[in-house]
Amino acid sequence: MRVAQARRFVISDHPLPWLLPLVAILLVFTVYPLIYNIWLSFHEFVPRRRALEFVGTENWVQLWNDTRFWQSLVITFTYFAIALVFELVLGMAIALLLDSDGFGFGFLRGVLTMTLVIPPAIVGMMYLLMEDPQFGVISYLLQSIGLLNSNNPILATASTALAGVLVAEIWQWTPFMVLIFLAGLRALPPEPYEAAMIDGASPFQIFRRITLPMMSKVIAIAVLVRGIDLFRVFDYVFVMTSGGPGASTYSLSLYAWQQTFSFVKWGYGATLSLVTLVIILVIANLFIRIAKVKW
Amino acid sequence: MNGSFSTRMLRTIAAWVVVAIFFFPIYYWTSVAFKHGNDIFNRPPKLFAFTPTFDNFQKVFGISLGSGGITVTPGGGNFYMAPRVWDSIVIATLSTVLAVAIATLAAYALSRMNFRGRHSFVGWVLSTRMMPPVAVAVPMFFIYKNFGLIDTYTGMVLIHALMNLPLAVLLMKSFFDDIPSEIDESAIVDGASRFMIFRRIVLPMAKGGIAATAVLCFIFSWTEFLFALTLTTTSVKTVPVVSSTFVTSIGTAWGNMAALGAASIIPAFIFILLVQKHLVRGLTMGSLKQ
Repeated sequence: MRVAQARRFVISDHPLPWLLPLVAILLVFTVYPLIYNIWLSFHEFVPRRRALEFVGTENWVQLWNDTRFWQSLVITFTYFAIALVFELVLGMAIALLLDSDGFGFGFLRGVLTMTLVIPPAIVGMMYLLMEDPQFGVISYLLQSIGLLNSNNPILATASTALAGVLVAEIWQWTPFMVLIFLAGLRALPPEPYEAAMIDGASPFQIFRRITLPMMSKVIAIAVLVRGIDLFRVFDYVFVMTSGGPGASTYSLSLYAWQQTFSFVKWGYGATLSLVTLVIILVIANLFIRIAKVKW
Repeated sequence: MNGSFSTRMLRTIAAWVVVAIFFFPIYYWTSVAFKHGNDIFNRPPKLFAFTPTFDNFQKVFGISLGSGGITVTPGGGNFYMAPRVWDSIVIATLSTVLAVAIATLAAYALSRMNFRGRHSFVGWVLSTRMMPPVAVAVPMFFIYKNFGLIDTYTGMVLIHALMNLPLAVLLMKSFFDDIPSEIDESAIVDGASRFMIFRRIVLPMAKGGIAATAVLCFIFSWTEFLFALTLTTTSVKTVPVVSSTFVTSIGTAWGNMAALGAASIIPAFIFILLVQKHLVRGLTMGSLKQ
C-alpha cells in the first residue's frame, strides 16, 4: 500500500519530488557553507593549540581596521568598473560592426567565440608570457613604440600591474558582450530604423535614440551576468600576479582565499568571503530591482 | 543598412582586422606550443619564422610523430599531463550529467506547475549563482576534509555540478517554457502521468536545449579553477590547475604549457560550435532568446 501511495506522489502534480534533488544539493552546498562561514567568522584558528577558538567579534573589528581589506575592496571595484566599461563599449562597437549578413561575417562571429572556452587560468598564463618584459610580444610592441620602459615590467610595476591583468580580462570577455549584443541587434524590428532614415536622422542619432533604448534590456542582462563574475575575480590575479606587486592587484576573493589557505587565518578568511558575498548579493539584487531584469 | 560599395568594403576590412586582433593571442599561444625553447625566448618575438616541433606535445601527452607514424609512449616526467586531461574529462562529464539530470527535473516543475513561492524559488536559485566561489570553497574544504572527499572525483563532480545548477535550471526552464503547455494538458486528459509526459513528450522535444545546457555545463567545469585548486591535492587535478606545474624554479616551460593549453581548447571549441544556435541564451542563463 505504502509503495502505491509513494508512487502516486512521485507521479503527481506536486512539485516537491521534482524539486527535491535540487533543493537538497543547494542546501548542502550553499546554505550550509553560508551558515558555516558565519559561524567561522566568530572563531579563529589558534596554531599553538591547533584548534578553532571563539573570538567574538574580533574578526569583524579587524576587518574594519584592516587597510589591506579596504584597499582590496577599492581594487575589486576599480577592476569591476574598468572591465565592465571597456567590455560594454568595445562589445557594442564590435557588435555593430559585425551586425551584417555579408560574406564571412558568420565565420568571424565563430572565431570570436573561441576566447570564451579557454580556461581563465590559462588565459592568465598566455598574457603572463605575452607581457614578459624580455620576450613577451605585448611588452616588445609597447617598448618599440616607446610606451613602455624596459625597466618597468608590466606585471611587476605597481602602477601598471592591474592594467596588465585587465587586458587579459577584457580580451577574454569582450566577445561575450559581442555575442549577446549581436543577438539583441538581430532581434530589433526594422520599422523604427526605416522611419528614422526617412526623417534623415544621423547614424549617431539613430544609435542614441533607437538602438540604445531598444537594447536596454539586453544590456542590463549582460551587465548583470558579467558583473557578478567580475566582482569575484580570482583566476587572473592568482595566476598572473598573486596580488602583487605590493598589494596592487589584490582582489577580495584572492585576499579571502590567501588568508584561509596561505596564512591559516580560517576565521578571518571566512569573514572576508562573507563580506564579498554580501556585497555581490546587495548590488546584484539592487540592480535587478532597478533595471527590472526578469527571469 | 546598405551603404555604398566602399563603405561595405571598409566595414568588411574593419571587421576582419578587429577579429584578427582578438585571434592573435590564440595564434601566438598555439605557435608557442610548436616552438623550440630558443624560438620562444627570442627577442624580437618570433611570430611566423620558426621551425615547428612536436616535442612539447610529445612531452605533455606522450604522443610522438616519428618516422613510424604516430606512436604513443606514456612516459613519466612531471610534464606528462595525459592523466590530468583524463581527470578533467571525467569530472566535466559526470558533473554535467548530474547537473543536467537534477536541473531538468526541477526546471520542468518550475515551468509547468503552479505553486506558492515559485517566483521566489527561481530568485533563490538565481541568487546561488551570485555566491563567490571562495565563499563556498572555504567551508567546503573543511567539510570535504571530514568526509574524505578532498582530492576525489566524487568531491569535484559534486562541487562542479552545484556550480552549474543555477545556470542549468534557469536555462532548461526557458527551453521548457518554449514548449506549449497545451501538449501536456491534452496528454493528462488522455490519462498520462506527469512523469510519463516529462519523459515521453517534453524531454524529446527539448533535446536541443538539453544539449546546449550540457555543453555549457561541460565548458564551465572544464575551465573552472578555484574549486579545483582548493579541493584537490595530488591524485585528481584538472587542466587549468596543473598549468602552474610548468612554472619551475629553473624557469617556466612555456612550450609544454602552451601545448596543453592549445590542446585543451579544441574539444571545448568544437562543442560550443555545435550548439551555437543556443549560445547566447545559455550565456545569459536563459533570459535572452536568439
